Amino acid sequence: MKDIVVDFGPVRAVDHVNITIGPGEVVGLLGENGAGKSTLMNALAGAISPTHGEVVIDGSRKTVSNVKVAAQLGIRFIHQELNLCNDLKVFENMFLGEELRRPTGLLDTTTMIARCREALGRMRTHINPETVVGDLQAAEKQLVECAKALLFKSQLIIMDEPSTALTTEETENLFETMRTLKTEGVSFIYISHKMPELFEICERYYVLRDGVLVAEGKFAEVDDSAITELMIGRQLAHDVFDDHTDNTRPEVLVKAENLSGAGFEDVNFELHVGEVLAITGLQGSGCGQLADVLFGAAPFGGTLTVKGRRVRSGSNVRSFMRRGVAMVPRMRKERGIHNDLSIMDNHNMAYINARARTPWISKPAALKRYERERKSLSIKANNPANPITSLSGGNQQKIIIGKWLEAEADVLLLDNPTQGIDVGTKFEIYHLILALAKREKAIVVFSAEPPEIHKVADVCLVMFKGRVNAVLERDQITERNLMFYSTGANLRVS
Amino acid sequence: MSVSAPTNVGSALRRINFRELGIKLFTEYSFVLSFILLVILAATVNHNFFSWPNISNIFVQSCIIGLIALGMSMVISAGQIDISVGSQVAFIGGFGVLVLNQTGSPMIMLAFTASAGIVIGLINGLLITKGRMPSFIATMAMMGAARSLINHFGSGGPFTVNRANYEQFRQIATGSVGLFGVKVPYLMLIFIAATIIFDVVMKRTRLGKHIYAVGSNEVSARLSGVNVDAVKTATFVITGLMCGIAALLYASRTTAVAASSAAVGFELDAIAAVAIGGTAMTGGRGKIFGTFLGVLMFKIISNILTAANVSTFLNGAISAAIIVIAVLLQNFQYRKQR
Repeated sequence: MKDIVVDFGPVRAVDHVNITIGPGEVVGLLGENGAGKSTLMNALAGAISPTHGEVVIDGSRKTVSNVKVAAQLGIRFIHQELNLCNDLKVFENMFLGEELRRPTGLLDTTTMIARCREALGRMRTHINPETVVGDLQAAEKQLVECAKALLFKSQLIIMDEPSTALTTEETENLFETMRTLKTEGVSFIYISHKMPELFEICERYYVLRDGVLVAEGKFAEVDDSAITELMIGRQLAHDVFDDHTDNTRPEVLVKAENLSGAGFEDVNFELHVGEVLAITGLQGSGCGQLADVLFGAAPFGGTLTVKGRRVRSGSNVRSFMRRGVAMVPRMRKERGIHNDLSIMDNHNMAYINARARTPWISKPAALKRYERERKSLSIKANNPANPITSLSGGNQQKIIIGKWLEAEADVLLLDNPTQGIDVGTKFEIYHLILALAKREKAIVVFSAEPPEIHKVADVCLVMFKGRVNAVLERDQITERNLMFYSTGANLRVS
Repeated sequence: MSVSAPTNVGSALRRINFRELGIKLFTEYSFVLSFILLVILAATVNHNFFSWPNISNIFVQSCIIGLIALGMSMVISAGQIDISVGSQVAFIGGFGVLVLNQTGSPMIMLAFTASAGIVIGLINGLLITKGRMPSFIATMAMMGAARSLINHFGSGGPFTVNRANYEQFRQIATGSVGLFGVKVPYLMLIFIAATIIFDVVMKRTRLGKHIYAVGSNEVSARLSGVNVDAVKTATFVITGLMCGIAALLYASRTTAVAASSAAVGFELDAIAAVAIGGTAMTGGRGKIFGTFLGVLMFKIISNILTAANVSTFLNGAISAAIIVIAVLLQNFQYRKQR
C-alpha cells in the first residue's frame, strides 16, 4: 500500500501511510484505539475508498473499489465485529455472496457444506456447517469468521483482533492454521492489542499513531515495553493535564454494589461530587452495557443508589433524568443526535422531558437556554434553526452536553465522548470535563482511549471480560497500566 | 402565510428576511412553489378558478381527506404508517349512522365516532408498540378486519340515514356561515381550524417535538427520556380520532355509508397528500402546512383531470403516481443537501 490517505469529512484518519507485505509473511499492525488501523485495513480490503494513494499487488497497481474486487484479488478481511447473519446457517454465511451453483442455476448445497466442513476442520473445530449461526457461542462465531477466509484461495488475510473472544487453546489452533497457510505462501496482517500473541506469530510490525505510521521493524529486535512506548508516543515536554487537580468532595452521588447486567457482573464503585471516574475496557469487557445500566436504559441486578435513594431495575430513562443523571451516548450519529432536527430542538430535548412543567414549548425561553450554553461551552454555531448536521462533530457533542446542563443534571455519564472528533476539539472536551468537575458535577467517562483517561480521570476502573480487573488511583493511571489491566495480562500468570 | 404558522403571521411578517426566504422557498418550502405553479396551471385551464364558489368547493372536497391526512402527517413524521384509515372511516361511519338513526342526535353520533376512532387507534398503537409489530402489518390487519366486519353487518350494502334525521344531519356537510360577506362552508372552517391546531401541536408542544424526534432517531429519543411507545401510540390514537370525525362528515356528505365501497383508497389519497406536502416518508421532518397545501393540491389536480374528462376510475393510479413522483423529488432534494 502506497501513500494511503483517508479523510472522514474534516478528520484525517490515515495520513500518508506506506506498508509492504511479502509472500508468506505475518505482519503485526499496532496502535491504540482510534489510531487508524481498522480504517487503513478497510481501505485495503475495499470497504472504504481512500482519499489518496494506491494499492500495488505483485507489481501492478490495483483499484480495490469494493469488497468483491478485493476477494477476487485474494484479499480477505476477518472483522473485529462479527459480520455474520444470525438467522442463516453456518455454511450459508460462509458462502454469502459467493454461493456455489449447479449448472441448472440452483444452489449446490452439498458441495458448499462439504467445503465448509473441510475449512472448519482445518481450524480444528467441530462446528456443524448446518447449525444456525445465532445458536453459536461468541468464540465459535469468531472461528466461523476465520474459516470463511479458508474457503477460497487467498493471498492476504487481514485479521482484526481475531482472538478477542477465543480461549488460549483456540488461539493456538488458529496460529497453527496460520502457520500452515504461511508455508503455502499466504500472507497475514494481524491486528491485536495482546503482546504475547504478536510476538509469537508475527515477524515484522508497523505502528500507527493518530493516523501516521510512526515505526516499523522486526519483532525479534524489540521488547514489549519498547513497543508500548512506540504506540503511546513519548510524553510531551509539558502537558497541561499533568497538573491535575482533584476536585473530589466527600459527598457520594452514585453508589453501585454488586451491580450486574448483560455482559458484566459484580461491579462496585462510589461516585463523589466533583469526581471524574473513568471506566475502560476492550471490546466485550461490558463497558457499554454498564453505561446503559447507569442511565436506566437496560435492566440490572444488584444495588444502585443515586443521591441516597435506591433505584429499581426497570425504571426508565426519564426517572434517572429527573434524579439528575445525564448521558452523552457513544456513537453520536446513531444514538446521540437527531439528524433531521434543528440545533435548537436537539438542544432542548432533555429539558422538555426532565424539567418542563407544561406541554407547551416557549421558543424565547428555549432560545435563552441555548444561548447560555452556547456561550459557556463556546459552541461554534450560527443559526440555531439550522439542522444539527451543519455542525462539526465536536460542536454537536457540546450541544448534547449543553442540553443536559440545562436539564440540571449533576451526574454526567460520558460514553466515549470524543469518538470521531478531531484532535483539537478533543482537547476542548477534556478541558470541559475538568471544568464541569470544578462546577461540582460528578462525571463518569467511559473511554477506550488511554491518553484520554490519563488526561481527565481521578480514578479509573479497568474492566476485563465483564469484571472490574483493577481500580487505579490517579498516580497509577498510566497508559501502560491501562493497557496491562485491560488486556487481562495480570490474570495470565500460569 | 407562506412563511410561518398561520398563528403568528403578524410577527413573522415584520422580520422577514427576503434572501433567506428565497432560499427556503426552493428547499424547505418547495411545496409552496409547486402549489403556486399548480394554481397557475389550474387557473389557465379553468377561468373560474379564483371565483369564491370554486375555491370554497375545493376546500369542501378536501376536508375529509384533509382531516385524515393531518393525522397521517403525525404518524409518518414518527416514522410509522397507517393504511387502515379508509376502512376505519367506513367502519365507524357505518355504525355511526346506526347510532344517529337510533338516537336522532348528531352530538351523540359524534361522541360515538370519536371514541370509536380513539379505540381503533389505540389498538393499532398497542399492537405496534407492545406487540412489536411493524406498523404496516398491524394497520394492514386493521384495514382488513374493519372492512370485513362492516361488510358483514351491512351485508355489503349501505347504512342510510333515515328520513327523520336526513335534512338536519345533511346540514353539517352542506351548510355554511356568512363571514366577510361570503358564504364559508362549515367543512372549510373545520379543515382550516384542524390545520391550525395540528400546526401548533407539532411546532409548539412537547408531543410535537417528540414525534419528530422518534421519527428521526428512536435510540437518541429514548436516551433523551422520550417515551417512544407512548409517542407512537399517541399518533395512531390521534389519527383514529381524526378518522372518527371524518367518518361523521363522510356520512353527512353522502347520507349513506356503503359498507363495501365507502372511503376505499382514502389511505392512498392521505399518504399522497402528506408526500406532496414535503413530509419525509422515513419520518423526522415535515410540516403540517405542507400537508394542508398537499391536500388542496391533490384536489386541484383531480379537478383539472375531471375538467379534462379523465375517467374517475383512474384516481387510484393518479394518487399512486403522485406519491411516487413526490417521494422521488424528496429523495433528490435531500440527497443534494447531504
